[in-house]
Amino acid sequence: MASSRTPAGRRSAPSRAAGFLAWAVYGFLVLPSLIIVPMSFGDKDEFQFPPQSLSLYLYEKYFFESNWMDATFESLKVAVATTVLSLLLGVGAAYGLARSDFRGRKFLTLFLLSPMFVPVIVIALGLYLYLGSAHLTGTTLALVVGHTVLTLPFVIVTVLAGIRHVDRNLEVAATVMGASRWTVLRRVTLPLLRPTILVAALFSFLTSFDEVVVSYFIAHVQQQTLPVKMYSSIHWEISPVLAAISALLTALSLVTCLAVAAVQRDRQHG
Amino acid sequence: MAVFLLPAVLFMGAVFLLPLLVVVYTSFSEGGFTLQHYRELVSRPLYLLVLKNTLEISGLSTGLTLLLGFPVAYHLARQSPRRRAFLIIFVMLPFWTSILVKSFAFTVLLGQNGILNSAIAAFLGDGAKVKLLFNRVGVVIGMTHFLLPFMVFTILASLLTQNPDLRRAAEIMGAGPLRIFSRITLPLSMPGVLAGVLLCFILSMGMFVTPALLGGRTDIMMSNLVDFHVRETLDWGVASSLSVCLIVLTAIFTLLLARVRGGQLVPSD
Repeated sequence: MASSRTPAGRRSAPSRAAGFLAWAVYGFLVLPSLIIVPMSFGDKDEFQFPPQSLSLYLYEKYFFESNWMDATFESLKVAVATTVLSLLLGVGAAYGLARSDFRGRKFLTLFLLSPMFVPVIVIALGLYLYLGSAHLTGTTLALVVGHTVLTLPFVIVTVLAGIRHVDRNLEVAATVMGASRWTVLRRVTLPLLRPTILVAALFSFLTSFDEVVVSYFIAHVQQQTLPVKMYSSIHWEISPVLAAISALLTALSLVTCLAVAAVQRDRQHG
Repeated sequence: MAVFLLPAVLFMGAVFLLPLLVVVYTSFSEGGFTLQHYRELVSRPLYLLVLKNTLEISGLSTGLTLLLGFPVAYHLARQSPRRRAFLIIFVMLPFWTSILVKSFAFTVLLGQNGILNSAIAAFLGDGAKVKLLFNRVGVVIGMTHFLLPFMVFTILASLLTQNPDLRRAAEIMGAGPLRIFSRITLPLSMPGVLAGVLLCFILSMGMFVTPALLGGRTDIMMSNLVDFHVRETLDWGVASSLSVCLIVLTAIFTLLLARVRGGQLVPSD
């Protein structure tokens, strides 16, 4: 559906109606991100929109006061570890699924992807009961493991889709010339998958960095992650510092989303 | 090759499957085997009310998301690839934005002294203010915002696979744009629409953050009740039996979704 115009050059009624509604919805979609930014430059401990005068007061509070920074570092640590773990497990799994054929392969795919369709609260409760009985709740390891359950299916799906674009003949050629299976993966397949893996990594990082439900269940009060601290703050007493944090998180999302869009465009053209 | 699969399968078995089994086990046990947690669910009106809430809010949000998402997908499908790549950022940004950032923005936007109500009060006076937060309206607005990218991407994928020759043929044979839309584009997009609706319904039934932060006390959904039992009453048995009900509900719709997608959970192309 590439052409948007009828031969006469006028736009049809359905597409005009859709265009009007579509722009309204685009507005609705970006509205929350848009109002956050001016608010984050407010100079008082109360909400004003638009703020009377601009200042970096809320940013200073975030960076230098209270323990928001501790929570941010905890989240960063968990997100980096989650990204590494989900890539290690996920890229291998996707490669195994794409390049092998055995009975039960479809069932195994279903199993590996199923966390996407299980309500997060159930996963959170399960980990809470399971890790709790092993006295592992409240550790950074528990958070990394819990987040990886959520990100792994997406890494597998992304890499599976990426492998489909990898020309199998290149792998065959390398094998014919005597490369071992491991060398083929390391020297041929993985380099070709680099953009896909980058997308999967960004996704894992951001998902873990923003994850709240599992963390809320298995983190202890002393090792709150940034989203858990934000959740409590929105739930109990809204702190204006949230505006500055939200603006920074929105900037992070925007950068990630543009990076993913760029990678995907390159893949389509390259 | 299957050896590459092993680590992921072992990992998921140990920290996804086993914890789920623990939930199922907890839901049936209290010293020994028992059905008392499930009996409690059917005997207390609160649980039926929350089930009704969950289905109503999910249905309402999914319906609204379809109404808003279809025109967006249709609009995107009719753009040149270059322009589409630009416009799609409007849909991708909220998809990549933390649900907490969005919830925070909505509390500021929809609150009694929020941006929207201040604007209403400035034009129409204080009496015209509407309650948009901590009630069902707030939850549905927040959830629709969360669901829209999923709906748009699913329908867009199906619109983009349509053969443009069909529309061209209809046009040559004299069909007007409305007729082409209602007889070709819309019917052909139905599998995508159905997949989008099922996906959004599945996602909404498990929502936790949005109803907790934007909803009122009477608008809690099943997830919030699970949280309540873990945190407030420490009743893991009831929390687990609620979770099992939630899994069964989502599983039914997930199977339907896999059916619509020709036996796959995730579209393969």
